[in-house]
Amino acid sequence: MKHTILKCLGIAFVVSLGIAPAKAQNTLTDPEIAHVAVTANSIDIGYAEIAKEKSKDADVLNFAKAMASDHKAVIDQAVALVTKLHVTPADNGVSKKMLADAEKTKKMLRSKSGKAFDKAYIDNEVAYHKAVIAAVETVLIPQSHNAELKDLLQKVAPTLKTHLEHAEMVQSNFNGHGSKHMGKM
Amino acid sequence: MAASIWVKCKQAALLPVICLLLNSCTDNTADNGIQAETAPAAEQPKFEVLTVEIKDMKFVPDSITVKKGDEVVFVNRDIVTHCVTEEKSKAWTSGMILAGESYIWKATESAAYICAIHKVMKGKIVVQ
Repeated sequence: MKHTILKCLGIAFVVSLGIAPAKAQNTLTDPEIAHVAVTANSIDIGYAEIAKEKSKDADVLNFAKAMASDHKAVIDQAVALVTKLHVTPADNGVSKKMLADAEKTKKMLRSKSGKAFDKAYIDNEVAYHKAVIAAVETVLIPQSHNAELKDLLQKVAPTLKTHLEHAEMVQSNFNGHGSKHMGKM
Repeated sequence: MAASIWVKCKQAALLPVICLLLNSCTDNTADNGIQAETAPAAEQPKFEVLTVEIKDMKFVPDSITVKKGDEVVFVNRDIVTHCVTEEKSKAWTSGMILAGESYIWKATESAAYICAIHKVMKGKIVVQ
């Protein structure tokens, strides 16, 4: 799943250095960007729903609830914007590839249980958010033409970064590097 | 619930406006422009209202010093829901603060706090 979004955008991504892509081979229209954004958020809600069904870990459940709530809020904002702009999000190859990959990931997650599931879910969340952040910052924002769409994507970026930080904190507990200090809300 | 007094207010952002209106209503200048005589008011402690914005997934400022009795207004300017929860023992929590809503905390004692939804978001209030 790692860097799937960037791969399907056809970007030469220098992972080891973590630098921005040199060239985007695919250029997306604003309706396509809106579709990709909604799809990316929907996919993570899907992962969260699986976690809410399968996990019994308080930290994982807390994280999954936050993902479901936050990504729904982003989708609501995106839908409100495209409605206001009278734009219909346009399905595209990027969205299709993301959904196809997400189905494989969901199948993998459903095949696991207990601690193995919790670790697989959080590991995937870390990788997924890294890929989405990179895609938003280096492709979606730069390619957006509409100022309000660009502004929404810029507002979403800090949310995604906090999700990544949160996921890494939970992940560190699974890897034995952190203290298990997070209780129920 | 701890000793802290919590008040939830959806329109807390209007507080400064309300204060201004109240102030204008209690102006002790008469209509003829002559300053009315007033009895010396009993000395009362002056409490302040301070604001902590929740924006870009951060508490801004993330550390604030107040006096006992002051009010701290947490304004959620993000597009997602947040909360303010005492970190150490979860002694108090705001509950959900939806996007665009606010929450008022009356300062009683110093506290480190987090957003319990996004546990990497942290802040601190020092009560003098």
